[in-house]
Amino acid sequence: MAAGPPKGSDRIPTPARYREVSLLYVEDEAEARGMVSKMLSLNYPNLKVYPADNGVSGVALYRQHLPDIVMTDINMPIMDGIQMARAIKEINPEALIIAVTAHSDTAYLLNAIQIGIHHYVLKPVNYEELFAALDRIMEQLALRQLVDEQNRLISESERQLAVAQRIAHLGSWQWDLVAQRMCWSDELYRICGLEPGAVPASYAALLDRVHPKDREALRKGVDHALECRGPLEPQYCRLVRPDGSTRVLRVEATVVCSEVNEPLTVIGSMLDVTDLKRAEEEIRLLSEALERRVLQRTSLLQASLRELEHFSYVVSHDLRAPVARLEGFCRALIEDCSDCSNAACRGYAERAERVVRQIKSIIGAFNDLSHYARCSMVIGEVDLSAIVRRIGADFLLTEPGRQVDFVIAERIVVQGDARLLKIALEHLIGNAWKFSSKKERARIEFGSFEKEGNRVYFVKDNGAGFDMKYVGKLFKPFQTIHSPGEFTWNGTAIGLATVQSIVLRHGGRIWAEGEVDRGATFYFTLEREPEPGSYLRAL
Amino acid sequence: MKDRFIVLVEDNADDAYLATRVIGKVCSDKVIVARDGEEASDLLLKMARDGAHAKIRLVLLDLKLPKMSGIEVLQQIRDDKALCNLPVAILTSSDNDLDQERCRELGILDYMYKPMTADRLQRVLGPGKDV
Repeated sequence: MAAGPPKGSDRIPTPARYREVSLLYVEDEAEARGMVSKMLSLNYPNLKVYPADNGVSGVALYRQHLPDIVMTDINMPIMDGIQMARAIKEINPEALIIAVTAHSDTAYLLNAIQIGIHHYVLKPVNYEELFAALDRIMEQLALRQLVDEQNRLISESERQLAVAQRIAHLGSWQWDLVAQRMCWSDELYRICGLEPGAVPASYAALLDRVHPKDREALRKGVDHALECRGPLEPQYCRLVRPDGSTRVLRVEATVVCSEVNEPLTVIGSMLDVTDLKRAEEEIRLLSEALERRVLQRTSLLQASLRELEHFSYVVSHDLRAPVARLEGFCRALIEDCSDCSNAACRGYAERAERVVRQIKSIIGAFNDLSHYARCSMVIGEVDLSAIVRRIGADFLLTEPGRQVDFVIAERIVVQGDARLLKIALEHLIGNAWKFSSKKERARIEFGSFEKEGNRVYFVKDNGAGFDMKYVGKLFKPFQTIHSPGEFTWNGTAIGLATVQSIVLRHGGRIWAEGEVDRGATFYFTLEREPEPGSYLRAL
Repeated sequence: MKDRFIVLVEDNADDAYLATRVIGKVCSDKVIVARDGEEASDLLLKMARDGAHAKIRLVLLDLKLPKMSGIEVLQQIRDDKALCNLPVAILTSSDNDLDQERCRELGILDYMYKPMTADRLQRVLGPGKDV
């Protein structure tokens, strides 16, 4: 009888531990069948045993369960082991079969080998021998599983690669320089407009597909890469499909060298960037069109600015002469008619002279305004806080009797034209100063805050304020919302128009809030990087 | 000095009238009016040839003139051997800074804006007693 059963589970190769292995055991002797089955399940807990008592029921069970291993007696009634093995091999030529037999004659064994029975255990069963045979088979099974798994992984990643190549429109090729053989990926064939494998892959065939005008450049690129054993710098080439259509490819390659730095293989990729290039071209055309339109608009703007410029020139120069003439005659009237008996005469002359002075100051204001709108800007860092402090100090000197608290936020620094920004702040602070003159204790505040990603600067006073229904008039030149004499009137009303013009030139915006007798606040923004220079070229 | 002239270069009749009127208030010099730059140039060169230029007390020069600008006339005066020391004052309604700068470079007694006042002209002519 058998020796003490060894611990089979210890000898089972790793993968089999995780997977149930099944075994068809065919034996006509009930006692032997029971004993061996028991020993098997004791020693191989992962082994599922299907017992059968003859060849016919063995084949039936095999068909039903397709077990991994078949272990069979040879000499059996109805269908013997050899016949059964043959039948099973027909179902599965890979079936692993162990013969358990008392036969030991060579002819019989040769027959068994021919069928594909690779293992046999002699009867009466020696368990050590049986387990050794089983272990070998299980090892074989485990290896087969391992190989199957590897193959599955490889084909999976190949499939993934093919899908990825297809999605990315990326073809690849490998050129074996030693064997002068090339292979193309399926996607490369498709990029070429071919069915995979439709033409033999070769370097010459690849170059043939490239547009004649790009062929030389690609060849040179590859030659250079081979020469310096370096990568082929990405280059673009056109490829002509059999239907005549053209694709644009981005070609990259790398040279694999031997240990002695001899080039062995070139592995390359060809990315179909036709759609990208088309989109790029569209963007280029669009931006060109846009640029043309900007140019057109700019020249239109410049033309109308030039017209305005001309107009202001006419006002400032051509109007100046007749106004000066009028002033001359008014003065002549006043001087020469001083003895006129009619008092009204002199009065009229004096009034006329005042009108002339008014016209002159309007012309001056108009000139200033158009100057701020068109003069060349020099952009630099400007400390608005410092400017406001100086303006405030100057105002306090001019009217030392007034009680005015200046509240000035520290270090408000912007990019802009220092001269223009100073003029704008002078007007804003000047207004605040003027319109808070009736307050016993005036307060003028300069500060800034963040709003919707923009920095907003403000000048706030607690003076006379204004009715919001006049807000639209505030920034219009020559319009006032306070009556002359109500506050010290400076003759023209272009202060806020000037401020607006300066803010606009800095790419900003200005607006105001106010309430009668509750003060006014002027808010403005400035572009972070205002454009220097002037919109107008010299006339 | 008797028989002195003031040459007034002025294309506008009203302005010429006003200027002549103010000159009349300040001195009794004879006023010769040239109506454009070319006329002024011809007149001055002729006076230089005749040696009459020494009698010119002042050239009152407008800048915006037909044919030849005031600056061109001034340039010609300064370039001329005989005329180069002629006293010239500008009388204009233009406040072009560049023009003013250029005139001062070329040499002028004053740059006056129209209308000219008697006081200003008196200062230009200097304390030289009239008549």
